[in-house]
This record gives sequence, C-alpha cells and structure tokens, in this order.
Amino acid sequence: MKQLINVDSLTDIVSNSVGILIILAVVTLIQDNSTAYQLEIPIEHQSELSPVFIIAKDDKLIVLDTDRIFTNAAMQATDGSAKGKRIFPLEYGQLFGQIDNEQGIMFHAQDIEGSKDWHHFTQLEKNDSLLRQQLNKIDPEKQFAYFFVYDEVAESNISGSGFESFRMTREYLKSRHIKSGWKPVDSDNLASICDMSFSPLCKYLPSYLGSS
Amino acid sequence: MATRASRYARYLPEKKLEISLFPFLSIFLSVMGVLSFINILSSIHSPQKIEMATELEQGYKVAFQMFSLPDGIIIVPPVSRLKDLQEAVSDQDVKDELASIIVQRKQFIADIKAYKGSLDDFAVAPNVDNIKDLLKEIRFINEEALKHNVLYEEFILFGIYPNGGKVYHKIRDVMGYSKDAASISIGLEPLDANWTLNTDGAPIVDADLREVE
Repeated sequence: MKQLINVDSLTDIVSNSVGILIILAVVTLIQDNSTAYQLEIPIEHQSELSPVFIIAKDDKLIVLDTDRIFTNAAMQATDGSAKGKRIFPLEYGQLFGQIDNEQGIMFHAQDIEGSKDWHHFTQLEKNDSLLRQQLNKIDPEKQFAYFFVYDEVAESNISGSGFESFRMTREYLKSRHIKSGWKPVDSDNLASICDMSFSPLCKYLPSYLGSS
Repeated sequence: MATRASRYARYLPEKKLEISLFPFLSIFLSVMGVLSFINILSSIHSPQKIEMATELEQGYKVAFQMFSLPDGIIIVPPVSRLKDLQEAVSDQDVKDELASIIVQRKQFIADIKAYKGSLDDFAVAPNVDNIKDLLKEIRFINEEALKHNVLYEEFILFGIYPNGGKVYHKIRDVMGYSKDAASISIGLEPLDANWTLNTDGAPIVDADLREVE
C-alpha cells in the first residue's frame, strides 16, 4: 500500500506564519500613515529679555557661566594668551575660547567627555539634578535661554548631536514659561557671544509662537 | 446485570493512547519564525518616517520654507493664500507681478512633486543672487499685502537637517547684510534625517508627535 506524505503540518505552520506577517504589515502600514507632522513655527522676536547661553552637544548641555568665562577671557587677553586668535583654555566645561574681531568670543567644544559641567539631557527628568537647578534659575520675566546646538552627526545617526537635548530642554523650559531661541553650530561655525556692534549677525533672539 | 454491550467492551483489545505533538510543534515553530522575523526587522530598524506639510501658516503669517541639508537647500514657497492677495490687489502691474510669482512658485512645487528620487539629491547649493532675489520677492509681497490691507505676511522658516547648519549660516550671512531681509520674520526648527516633505497636500497633524516635539 502506498504511503502518502502528509503535508498538513507544513501547511499549518506556513499559513500561521504568513497570517501573522500580514497582520504585522497592516499594523505597520496603519502606523506609517499616522505620522504626518506639521512643523511648529516659532518665530524670532525682538526682545528686551537677556539671553542665558547654553551649548547642546552629544546629547549633553552646558549652561554657560558668562561671568566666569568673560573674567577668564579678560585675564587671558591681558596676559597675551588670547592674542592673534590664539585658542586658550577657559577652564570651564573643557571649553576652549578664541577671540575674534567679528564674532567676539568663540567656544571650541571638542572633547567634553568626563566634564562635570556638561549634563546629559536625561537629567531633566530628575527633580534635584544640577541641570534642572541651573535652568530653574532663569527668570522668565527678565531672561530667555539661547541654545547653540551642534548639528554635526555620525552617519548612522538621524539626528544632530545636540538636537534631541535641545528639543527636550526647550520643552522643559516652555513648561516653566521660559522662552528660548537657538542656532545650529558646528566646527566651522562655532558658538560665539558678541555684541551687535561687532556684526549684524550677533543677534540672539527668542523664538516663539505669536500667541505665546 | 451487565448489558451485552458492556460485556463486549470488557473484551475489546486495549488501544494505546497516542499524543500528537503536531499542534504544539506548529504553534511553536510559527511563533519562533515570527519572533526571528521581528528580531531581524528591529536589527535593521529604519526610523519611522515623519512627513511635513508643504504649506504652513500661523494666523496671517505664512511660511516660506527653506530646508537646509548638508549639500544645499530645498525651497518650498507658499502659493495657495498668495492667490487671495492677488485678487485683492487693484493695481494691474502688481497683479501681473504677483501672477508671475504664483506661476513660478507653482512650477517649483510641481518640480518637487515630480521628483521621485531622494529629497537630498534635490537640494541645490545656495546661490547668493538667488537668495537676494527671493528676499526681494518676499519683501515685495509683504509690502503689497500691507498696502492693500490684506492679512498676509510671509516669513522664512528654516528647517535644519543634521549637518545642514553650514548652508543655513551661508544664507543667514546673506540675510544679515540685506535690507530686504530686515523686515522679514524668521523661524527655525531642527529636523531629523527621517523627516520628509509631504508633497501630496497637507497631512493630518499628529497631536502626540507635536507633544513629543
């Protein structure tokens, strides 16, 4: 008597797998269609508020202590270390400074690993974190936060190195009614603080919606 | 007294109870297969695509979008509400000028829609003269809207992609020294590489995503 090979089990396995894959594909498709996004459009506004400068790089942030930085830069300039666009250590957040006639004081932030002055943006979730304490000092009536956001990125990444930290911090500041502005920076276009008398590009403006 | 049937059953040969592993194996292998598939998918996980609208406005302010990419810019000018301004204008010369701007812009959008490749390849290096012309054009439109009491103002919205800062700075340098740019409002937003333009009209806004943002 001929023995028939039973393919029931194989058919069952294949149809089960195919069915589940089809369900997965449909779910993915539905999710894909719902990710359309309309950009928020904060617009730069002239303001009497004074900026508190923050640098965002590699998912970390540093709130610039301008008093300390300017005092240090002035000392370096006095003893000649900052002459001729020479780069000098600011002894703050492993930052290096450079003085330029057009751009004022420029900040080099090459190697920030291990610095205690830089804080990972996830620190915002902790109530008692140093980052929160520093941001909470910003007075919304008198100040706004201005971010220098590094947009340089490794090829495998989809976001600029400071984008995520900037977005999260901006959201946190918004919840505290603190306005913020930003500009992208990189190794060619460094973060810099200067006065409008230097150049018309020395503008630091908060961006927000007309209604806010 | 035992019935005939029960007596017969007592003498039936005993049959071994066979357990079939088939349903268990079937489910087990199916689950394993799907899990491995998901595992492979997540290992080559491509980030979710987010699409942005080509026409954006906030009240009477309408965005003239400039997407700044590593190799250049993509310009997405607004068109739809510009037609209202054209209708409101009485001066024939201005009307004609606006008509020609609308035609140009429509062509621009049509070119973007017709382009099937990656948007990155569509980006062009910013040309100083072109930027100056665009600024002049936006200023002209805004001034005419003001003259004719039409609630319409174009502003430049920069969408900065990763590594797109260099191109952005080139444009801002031009704008910094341009009289036409002085009266134009500016907005800028950081964009991730997986955020693309929706060229098939305004997409539905996903409130959750906006909250995340």
